[in-house]
Amino acid sequence: MISYTFIQVLISGVLLGGIYALISIGLTLIFGVIKVINFAHGEFLMLAMYFAYWMWHYWGVDPYASAVVLAALLFLIGAATQRGIIQPLLKSPASMQIFATVGLSITLQNVALFLWKADYRTIQTAYQASKITIGELAIGYPRLVAFVGATAMTIIIFWFLKNTFTGRAIRAIAQDRMAAMLMGINQKRMYMLAFGLGSACVGVAGGLLMPIYYVFPTVGTYFSLTAFVVVVLGGMGDIRGAWIGGIIIGLVEAISGFYVPALKEAVYFAIFILILLFRPSGILGLGRGFEEVAQE
Amino acid sequence: MKRWVWSLFILALLSALPLVVETQFYLHIFILTFLYASFANSWNLIGGYAGQLSLGHAAFFGIGAYACAIGSVKFGISPFIGLAIGVIIAVLVSAAIGYPCFRLRGPFYTLSTIAFAEVVRLLTLYWRDLTEGAVGILIPFRPGVANLIFSGKVPYYYIGLAMMALSTFLCYHVERSRFGYYLVAVREDEDAAEACGIRSARYKLYAAMISAAIAAVCGVFYVQYMLFIDPEGVFNLNVSIQAALMAIIGGAGTWLGPVIGAALLIPLGEFLRGWLGGAARGLHMAFYGIVLIVVVMVIPQGIVVTVKNLLKTKATRKVEEERR
Repeated sequence: MISYTFIQVLISGVLLGGIYALISIGLTLIFGVIKVINFAHGEFLMLAMYFAYWMWHYWGVDPYASAVVLAALLFLIGAATQRGIIQPLLKSPASMQIFATVGLSITLQNVALFLWKADYRTIQTAYQASKITIGELAIGYPRLVAFVGATAMTIIIFWFLKNTFTGRAIRAIAQDRMAAMLMGINQKRMYMLAFGLGSACVGVAGGLLMPIYYVFPTVGTYFSLTAFVVVVLGGMGDIRGAWIGGIIIGLVEAISGFYVPALKEAVYFAIFILILLFRPSGILGLGRGFEEVAQE
Repeated sequence: MKRWVWSLFILALLSALPLVVETQFYLHIFILTFLYASFANSWNLIGGYAGQLSLGHAAFFGIGAYACAIGSVKFGISPFIGLAIGVIIAVLVSAAIGYPCFRLRGPFYTLSTIAFAEVVRLLTLYWRDLTEGAVGILIPFRPGVANLIFSGKVPYYYIGLAMMALSTFLCYHVERSRFGYYLVAVREDEDAAEACGIRSARYKLYAAMISAAIAAVCGVFYVQYMLFIDPEGVFNLNVSIQAALMAIIGGAGTWLGPVIGAALLIPLGEFLRGWLGGAARGLHMAFYGIVLIVVVMVIPQGIVVTVKNLLKTKATRKVEEERR
């Protein structure tokens, strides 16, 4: 019986990890290409979740359907952020870019608080409580969909970066900004594209999360803190690492949430500090952000 | 010499102010300004001079405040001993966070501080026996120097003023010391600084420790003045951001910047809060966010340096005209 419970915990950990992975991949993609940490990443997720909520509330749109629309919408928001705020600050010290995104984060959080109040909002769907049972194991349907959707989005981004010409251009500019620009790659356009893609990840995540989570103005803080840990664990800028890191943190959360529920975040933080001490380049050792930022 | 005369003049003016101003509300605004100016000074040491952005300074502030409050309410310890304990814990903790981060480059310190503040907040909520969790600790009102509690606002005014003056003097001194030049060198070019023989990780760590100590002292002042403390009030991300915001608006890495920033933002914030009222919850922080973005994009060096440059160009212009 205990082993069944434990397997159950592991499964829910992996499923949750899929969502963490998707959010973190967005963050690490932006960091890997533009060398900027978007501190408003969590607030973008918050916006996506609110949009999903309102679309359901007013028009009865299913959150899974709105995930597609949200991807496009968040892409635009991300691209606009890059063009309007980050691009003018590219030559400034890294601290100024951090502050600009922090400023954006506070603004979005508090505008949401003003417009939509601090209430926790949830949506009701027909499939919310339905689950798939295999023997004694029960898997919640919305969690499974969230995992599958997040993984699909992850695969699309992988495929795009690996196999398309534009994806290759993004990877080139991530490796060496100057050399890529000398090869005729349009830096502004690629940066907007990368920021947009990274933000589209949280657009999808927002839609997928809505049936299993509730939304409130500071919901982003929780997810972005998790994403920071995942991104550092996976190696900053390393997309594959972020995916593995997301699954690991999902598992850690499920296990520690099972045994020491109140200290879940403290466990994260301990992991965070241990990685910084012993393996700052991440689990795959491919994180290369930390030397490069200093050079900019 | 001139700078000294000016500083003493302003200090004397501020010291004489409570003799004239009797409105409690204005005194309150002054006290808050002194408190936040000191807190912003503490942030400036690590964030401004050393260029290591902390977004979790509320944690050190809160550790000082909670150490003092728990000590006096739960164990009956004098707040002066509570202050010492708070400062020691804050310094140790800041060293523990700084040590792994300062060996690395990039945004690790920022990420660690932001995460650490959140962890401290959750731990405070969790250890209810000690911290009363979300309810917060109410400090019984027993005026007296031994309890560090006073019945009027005027004593707090002078303590706050002294705190601001001392921390500003410390920053002024650091800016002109070998230590300060090391920090600025590390901020501007870590490789070059290392090549000159500066142990960058060590000096960043020193700066972080001094900064945490000052922040803890500010926290103690806060709790002794408010006589109440709860996790949302002190460990909020907004508290950390306000410290950074004031330093940046005034001018990060300048000794006068944080004071100017606090003197602008605190009265403005209190005014906005009163004017917008409870109906517009959140708008006042949203305003701070927008100000932060605009300042970073328009005057990234802050008010002090920008004004200095404007004056300088005027003076240079004059010299150039005379040459012609």
